Formats: sequence, C-alpha cells, structure tokens
Amino acid sequence: MADPDFEQSLVKMFAEAPALPDPEGFARIVEARLDRGWNLRQALIWTMGLAGGVIGFSQVFPTRVMAQMGAASDESAKVIDQGVRSLSNLQGSLDTLPLGGEVVWMAAALGVIALAFAITRAVEEF
Amino acid sequence: MAGLHDVELAALAAAGDRPAFGELVRRHGSSVRGLLRRMGAEPSLADDLAQDAFLAAFERIAEFRGEGTFVGWVRRIAARLYIRRWRREGLTDPSEGDLEEATGGEATAASHIDLDGALKSLSAAERMCVSLCYGAGMSHAEAAEALNAPLGTVKSHVKRGLDKLRLRLAPPAGSSDGRREHG
Repeated sequence: MADPDFEQSLVKMFAEAPALPDPEGFARIVEARLDRGWNLRQALIWTMGLAGGVIGFSQVFPTRVMAQMGAASDESAKVIDQGVRSLSNLQGSLDTLPLGGEVVWMAAALGVIALAFAITRAVEEF
Repeated sequence: MAGLHDVELAALAAAGDRPAFGELVRRHGSSVRGLLRRMGAEPSLADDLAQDAFLAAFERIAEFRGEGTFVGWVRRIAARLYIRRWRREGLTDPSEGDLEEATGGEATAASHIDLDGALKSLSAAERMCVSLCYGAGMSHAEAAEALNAPLGTVKSHVKRGLDKLRLRLAPPAGSSDGRREHG
C-alpha cells in the first residue's frame, strides 16, 4: 500500500546531507582537479596551436625558400658561368702568352675572386 | 560568494568562474557523497564518484538552467555514474530480480533507526531503486532506463524497498493512504 506522506518524508530524509568527514577537503580536491584539468586544457590548446603554427610554417616557408634558392641559384650560376668563361678566356689567352709563374698566379687569383663574388651573391640572394 | 543563490553561482561557473563552482561544491558535496553511500557505494568510491560528478557537472554547467535544484541535478549525474560503475564491475544487477537480502538493522520499536541504517536492510537492487527514485529524484521510468531494467522490475523493487523501510523507520505523524505515482 502506498503512503504519500511516508514517501515525502523519505524524500526529505534523502535530501538531508549526512555529516561526512572533511567536506572542505573534498571541495579542495574537486577544485584542484578542476584546476588541473583547466591547466591541461590550456597546455593542450597551446601545444595544438604551436603544432598548427609549425605545420603551417613548414608548408609555406620551404616553398618560398626553394623559390628563392632557385632564383639565387640561377643568379649564382650566371655569375659562376661568367667567372668560368673569364677563366676560359684567360686560359685561351694564356696559350698565346708565354707561360710564367705570374700569369698562373694571376689566373688563380681571378678565379678566387670570381668564386668569392659568386658566393657573395648567392648568400645575398638567399 | 556565500550569499549568492545556487543558480547565480551556476551562471558564474558557466562563465568560467571556478571559485563560484567551488562554492557549489562546498555547499552540496556532502549531499552528493551521502547519496552515493546510501546507494551502496563504499566511502572511498562514493567520494571518487562524487568528485567525478562535480567535474562532469562543471563540464556541462551550461545545460543547467535552474529548472530544478542544482544539487538534484548533480545527484542525478552522480547516480548515473554509480550505476555505470555498478554495471561495469559486474556487481548485482537489479534487473535480475531479488538479490541477496541484507542482514543488518533489525528494528525494535524503541530504537531510532536512521535512513542509513534502514537502507542496509534492503537488498542491493531495492536500495538502488529506492535511492534513485527518492534520493536522485528520478521517476520509475527514468530509473528503469538508467538501470536498463524493465519498468515493472523497478517498480517491484521500489515497492518492496518502501515496505521494508516503512517497517524500520518511524512512521511520520498523520500518514494517509493513497497512491502517488512517482513516475
């Protein structure tokens, strides 16, 4: 047989919080877990942001670098080609000249200068 | 903070105010822990699940619109968490009919037996069903759904549980007959 009054009193009894040990400690634990979860979430967001940034950078940057390197290589190749051509010309004129130690050293010096110039240009382009 | 109503604190918590939520935990922690113990959870498990319930409540705080009480809402979350644990760990299944009869708490007319003591006289299934309906505020149908048990089974457990509790608890003054359909 149902008894509404008894059921209501039962609801009231259930609603009464029992005196349990260390309610403050319980609240502190929940707050600490909340903070930990919050910090973890922040760290996760930060990490994901960083990862996204790195991925985006890695997708964009190499493309530009390769394009710049390609352009620089073209320029450098021209410079080197000019240097080599001048060396070839020098070699050709050397054939007509009586070979001496001074001429060889001069050619070597020109070659070094041309190479240095090419490297400098390449570095500037890069 | 202490002077604010639960609904106001919940609104602040929904806006990310964790101290406001901490105040709610301080107010209602014992109530949630107590319900889980009354449902049959060991004290340490009850505390763990109560913490989980509050954390889940914080995650879903935007869903709380103040239609019921905040503590009632958290108690229902906690009860569902306990049911999930109860089923996962292969504990007694309320859908399997009557289970082991508890042995504690023989009543005598002169002695005052509180609710906690009286609940020990119920079987696990009766205790669970009564706690869900009268402690967590679920209807019979909601309890049946949460337990994944037939509605009739839940009603039977509740009825038997109430009969036992009525015998063990001092009847309130002015009790009357009449059917109150919980679900």
